[in-house]
Amino acid sequence: MPQIDKRVGDAVVWLLLVTAPLWLTYVGGYIELGSRVLIYALAAMALNFLLGFTGVLSFGHAAYFGLGAYGTALTIKYLYPSTPLAMLVGVVAATVAAAIIGPMIVRLRGVYFAMCTIAFGQVFYFIAFQWSSVTGGDDGVSAWHRMPLGFGLATIDILKDNKAFYYFALALFAVCAAAMAFLLRSPFGRTLLAIRENERRARFLGIPVDRHIWASWVISCFFVAVAGALYALLNNFVDPRALRWDQSGNFVIMAVLGGMRSFWGPLIGAAIFIVLQDYLSSETQNWMSFIGLFFVLVVLFFPRGVLGIVRRKAAS
Amino acid sequence: MTQLLLFNVFNGLIIGAFYALMALGLSLILNLSGVINFAHGGFLAIGGYLAYTLIPYLGFWGALVVAPVLTAAIGILVERVLIRRLYGRDPLYSLLLTFGLAFMIEDGTRFIWGAQSLPYRIPTWLAAPLSRSFFFLTGYRVFMVALVAAAVLGLFLILNRTRLGLRIRAGTLDLETVSSLGVNVRVLRSLNFGLGIYLAGLAGVLAAGMLGLQPTVGDNLIMPSFIAIIVGGLGSLPGTLAGGLLIGVASGVTSVFFPSASEAVIYVMMAAVLIVRPRGLFGEEGRF
Amino acid sequence: MSLLRVEKIARHFGSLVAVKDVSMTVEPGELRAVIGPNGAGKTTFFNLISGFLQPTSGRVIFDGADITGLLPARRVWRGIARTFQITEVFPELSVRENLRIPVEVASGFRLRPWLSRAADAEIRAYVAELLEKGGLAAKADRMVGELSHGDQRATEIMMALALKPRLLLLDEPTAGMGDQETYAITQLIRALHKDSKLTIVLIEHDMRVVFHLADRITVLDQGSFLAEGTPQEIAANEQVQTAYLGKAA
Repeated sequence: MPQIDKRVGDAVVWLLLVTAPLWLTYVGGYIELGSRVLIYALAAMALNFLLGFTGVLSFGHAAYFGLGAYGTALTIKYLYPSTPLAMLVGVVAATVAAAIIGPMIVRLRGVYFAMCTIAFGQVFYFIAFQWSSVTGGDDGVSAWHRMPLGFGLATIDILKDNKAFYYFALALFAVCAAAMAFLLRSPFGRTLLAIRENERRARFLGIPVDRHIWASWVISCFFVAVAGALYALLNNFVDPRALRWDQSGNFVIMAVLGGMRSFWGPLIGAAIFIVLQDYLSSETQNWMSFIGLFFVLVVLFFPRGVLGIVRRKAAS
Repeated sequence: MTQLLLFNVFNGLIIGAFYALMALGLSLILNLSGVINFAHGGFLAIGGYLAYTLIPYLGFWGALVVAPVLTAAIGILVERVLIRRLYGRDPLYSLLLTFGLAFMIEDGTRFIWGAQSLPYRIPTWLAAPLSRSFFFLTGYRVFMVALVAAAVLGLFLILNRTRLGLRIRAGTLDLETVSSLGVNVRVLRSLNFGLGIYLAGLAGVLAAGMLGLQPTVGDNLIMPSFIAIIVGGLGSLPGTLAGGLLIGVASGVTSVFFPSASEAVIYVMMAAVLIVRPRGLFGEEGRF
Repeated sequence: MSLLRVEKIARHFGSLVAVKDVSMTVEPGELRAVIGPNGAGKTTFFNLISGFLQPTSGRVIFDGADITGLLPARRVWRGIARTFQITEVFPELSVRENLRIPVEVASGFRLRPWLSRAADAEIRAYVAELLEKGGLAAKADRMVGELSHGDQRATEIMMALALKPRLLLLDEPTAGMGDQETYAITQLIRALHKDSKLTIVLIEHDMRVVFHLADRITVLDQGSFLAEGTPQEIAANEQVQTAYLGKAA
């Protein structure tokens, strides 16, 4: 039975995502919002690869999100106006950074690990701020835009056509999601579950825990960088706020809100959070307080997240 | 050249003292309750703003005394109502909670006191330079360092000479045993939290005098406090103190030779410590 | 050649001496019990053999090679598997998944992002075999965290076995169990021992289990070696009886 439920659930999710441009406007949304949900969902799912499935508390993912974004923006602006190339540069830069930082923190655990991820996250925020000659400092990288995708004969105008961009983002989202799902269901993925469930036991089964955590960390940062690249493309702009500590917190709350233990949880969490944020910021100046309150309420009353509650109801 | 160096080292010491004050509060809470209080910067801001509001009624000195206490009270309230519920759980949740609190405090202070920078008036005699050759040695700066030193000394005395301090120290090592010895752990945690927030509030009042007041005043100080703890060593208060001073001075000295790198150097120090000695300079093994 | 040779191993914790100059030799295929009153240092001794702790002095020699400095994961690769006093399993995974992981790791698949159908079938078959041997087939898809203490322990033992070890270390396998569960676990251990001629060293408090299973017994008292011999010899040993202050066999 659970196998069928799962397949049905997956099908429903994909159906909703593929048809989104059709029904979004009817529920008071707009296509850009849909794209934004996709991007944050990807980021939250990438984070959850580490948080929910490996059991590692990373609170500094915005750094790699931001590196992906800045890499993309700077490439188009200064290097060569090609969207795929720009994304490649952004993602590679972020992944390399993650691969290098990883060994420094992979021996740490719990709150100490979290502290260090926050601190390292801040390093990149600081660089984005200070290195204003390159990054534009607080003003960010502007006066550029995503390039239409040229495939020889055909061109997909993701610049002017919001729908085209949505499907472009969806395609990338699909590839990334499939890759993550694939990894999680493999023997390697199971070693990550083992580490989450009982690190000591994993170690005593011969699993080199630190090395696997490092691998999970790099994979997670890779996918979050893809989300970051898409973020830059969506906005045709990037500024240090993409890298700030609150961005990292947002990713985590999305994963928790949707349900950390489930694959699609972060997608649901992202959808709820982005819609809420969108609504609040248009209603009041003090939307930040409400978001903060939201964090508090989720943590106190909803720690297992939406899918956690659903699962419990199904079990009983 | 020496003037410049001295200036920057002294400046670095002041900043280091700030970092240390913040970091000590953070460290206290982290060591006993395992909570990373991301809202610490927010409490610093509250301390400063409360003092600002109290000055017309209590004067500079009155505000200096009362504001941190009020802040600590708010802190204890927050701990009892919110944070207490999360102690048994994964540290993820308390960190998310304090994140949320940080948002709320930052926006809240903006809402109550406005987004503009507020001026914080200090007594003129304090602001005057003490010496003609060492012009940077204003009374206020010396006063700040002295006050921080006094606060640290006070903390040291509390921890080592009072029963509360003994319980906190024991609880940091083994909370279960302390509990089974009949100590009310809930009250202990609250008081410890309050103590940590008191230090944040105090830092806020002092910072107001030097940097002025904005809703984001705590933002800039919280990250160096993290790094002070990482560098100095997890679980060790003397380490945190040393860490704070160290990164402050390093930052100050660097600003003489590579002014733009003065903030970056503390991140470099953090990376270095993590590579060479992950538990920190004075950290205890097995703390993580 | 003996499979495990512990030479004058000692472990100090500051001024506290937990284990002092204990030597032990275990032959292949033997089932050795390590017993001793509380505080005798049995678990510390185990921790030294399995690599959880480093000895202050002395050596651990496994199959002719000095493994004293090796980390736990490396010892697993050499063929030493262990269970813990407090059952260490993966609570939110099913029994089947709990067993699948060590099987995959032992087959060298831990880093594989992908399994061929043939390899997958082979793994499933072996897991099914382990489930059967452990008497867990009926509960295979339930969450281990929800099972009875006895079943959790059985799962843990089968997980250790899934690694195809040459030496199995069992730390108080019947700890906290009632009579029925103790009997079941004892039967399981005995069956495993007979079936695969595995070398087993176990720590036990329950003397019925010890006398039922052990080929030889090593007795520790207050961190030092006290006696060693066949169950009959140990039962008759007066020193041992005194050390236990009248614990009946």
